[in-house]
Amino acid sequence: MMTMTSMKIRNEAIITFKKIKKQYVPFMKAGIQSLIAYRMNFFGFVIGGLIYCFVMYYLWKAVFKSSGGNDFMGFSMVDMTLYLFLSSVTNHLTFSSAGDNVGEEIKDGSISMRLIKPVNTDLSYLSNELGGTFMTFIIFALPMIVGIEIYRFFAVGNVMFDWVNFALYLVSVMLAYLISFRVNLCFGFMAFYVKNLWGMNILKNSILKFLSGTLIPLAFMPDTLRKILEYMPFSSMSYTPVMIYMGKYGTNEIIFRIAVQAVWAVLTYALSKLIWFHAVKRLSVQGG
Amino acid sequence: MRRFLRIYRILVAQNLKRIMEYKADFLTGAVSFLIDQAIGIAFIFIIFSQIPHLDGFTFEQIVFIYGFSQIPKGIDHLLTDNLWCVGYFIVKKGDFDKYLTRPIDPLFHVIAETFQVDAVGELVVGIALMIYVSGSVNLYITPLSIILFIIVIPFSAMIYTAIKIATGALAFWIKSSGFIIQMVYGMNEFAKYPTTIYSQFIRTLITYIIPFAFTGYYPALYFLTGQDPIFNIGGTVVISLIFMAIALFIWHKGLSAYESAGS
Repeated sequence: MMTMTSMKIRNEAIITFKKIKKQYVPFMKAGIQSLIAYRMNFFGFVIGGLIYCFVMYYLWKAVFKSSGGNDFMGFSMVDMTLYLFLSSVTNHLTFSSAGDNVGEEIKDGSISMRLIKPVNTDLSYLSNELGGTFMTFIIFALPMIVGIEIYRFFAVGNVMFDWVNFALYLVSVMLAYLISFRVNLCFGFMAFYVKNLWGMNILKNSILKFLSGTLIPLAFMPDTLRKILEYMPFSSMSYTPVMIYMGKYGTNEIIFRIAVQAVWAVLTYALSKLIWFHAVKRLSVQGG
Repeated sequence: MRRFLRIYRILVAQNLKRIMEYKADFLTGAVSFLIDQAIGIAFIFIIFSQIPHLDGFTFEQIVFIYGFSQIPKGIDHLLTDNLWCVGYFIVKKGDFDKYLTRPIDPLFHVIAETFQVDAVGELVVGIALMIYVSGSVNLYITPLSIILFIIVIPFSAMIYTAIKIATGALAFWIKSSGFIIQMVYGMNEFAKYPTTIYSQFIRTLITYIIPFAFTGYYPALYFLTGQDPIFNIGGTVVISLIFMAIALFIWHKGLSAYESAGS
């Protein structure tokens, strides 16, 4: 009897999984295809990010030279270089434009087309984007990480790559992506209230750049500010995975930081749902 | 010339009316760029809390260079923002035909069409920063340097415009060149800091090939120290004229190569 029930549950699970696969895999494929179709924009985006890394690299080099020591608040120049390029890689992996797309669709009304489809709206955005993120991982993140490790090998003199840290980094990046996806979605819903989406985007990017520690490692910030920022969702979006990869955290701290990320993943999920229900009502008031 | 000015006035007035209609939009845009700038300054501030000087420059001097670099950037942003759209979608969507059917120079029309008030954020911050540090930093102020200041700013802004025209015009051949504008324009990040911190390769690149160093560091250096006006100011003028000439050449070549995308 028990085995019958469990088999039934298993079969149902398989059927549900197949259904989900059938529904959302096309969205993922579309995401991959659109990245390939707009590959030039993608490369522009990537090269722009790298130029920025180099500006920062030279700036930090000058800072290290001027500070007169090899160590700047617990970071060596090799650490700093790693931090800059890893932050860039991480930001590309956790990058989410679903929010912008939602914003555009709300603005031109085409969101109604998405709403009438018999699929989960969030999941359709998510799977659409995951396709692109997967491609980013293969064609950008992996080569970059190899490059970073080669640099580190020559700078330090021995292989520093750590499989465990790398695996934990990937876990942390996934959580970071989920948070980023939700935060961006929340910003996208602003389209109901503000028309200047371009301005909103600049605002969002510069706030995130600062609060997530991409611009300046949180470790360099004044103590009180750092402690506050470490508990905000923004540090979970880039700082935490990078620090894990670099081996800056001990075992307990890694567990704690990933737990903080998980909590934020849930909270930002709840927040986006809340705004969404409010927003959908507004949409029906406008008549789509 | 008077005809151009009159048309420009009408188009800008039209833009301003739209802005008055959507005040919240304007505020979002200006505040966004303002915060973006504030964060840039916070960054410099945090770095300088740990070091006495950066490559021989004091905090105030770096802030002056930063502030100066925002003014040409802001002026160009205010006046020629529509060039981005040419690169990103006007040509791709086939909307460029509109400009060709009007009895006025297409480049002028494209530029005049948008008056981007978001740029107020950059301009306000740039001016405020320069005023803020002018008390504590030893500026090189002579009658000549004040005149040169007024002269050099439009030329610096023109470097931005020339780069946008040249890269935007590539869309005439490849339909969408937004990513190229983005890539090249992104190099203006280099202009905010002394070029002496970069490697020789990057220094040459941002001086002679994508000359953003002339939109920030070089002219600002003259107003800080008074050294080498021939290169720092004269160089800015010459480089900006050369680049504008090249940009216009590319634009006109592109116009004759343009085939409508057909919508």
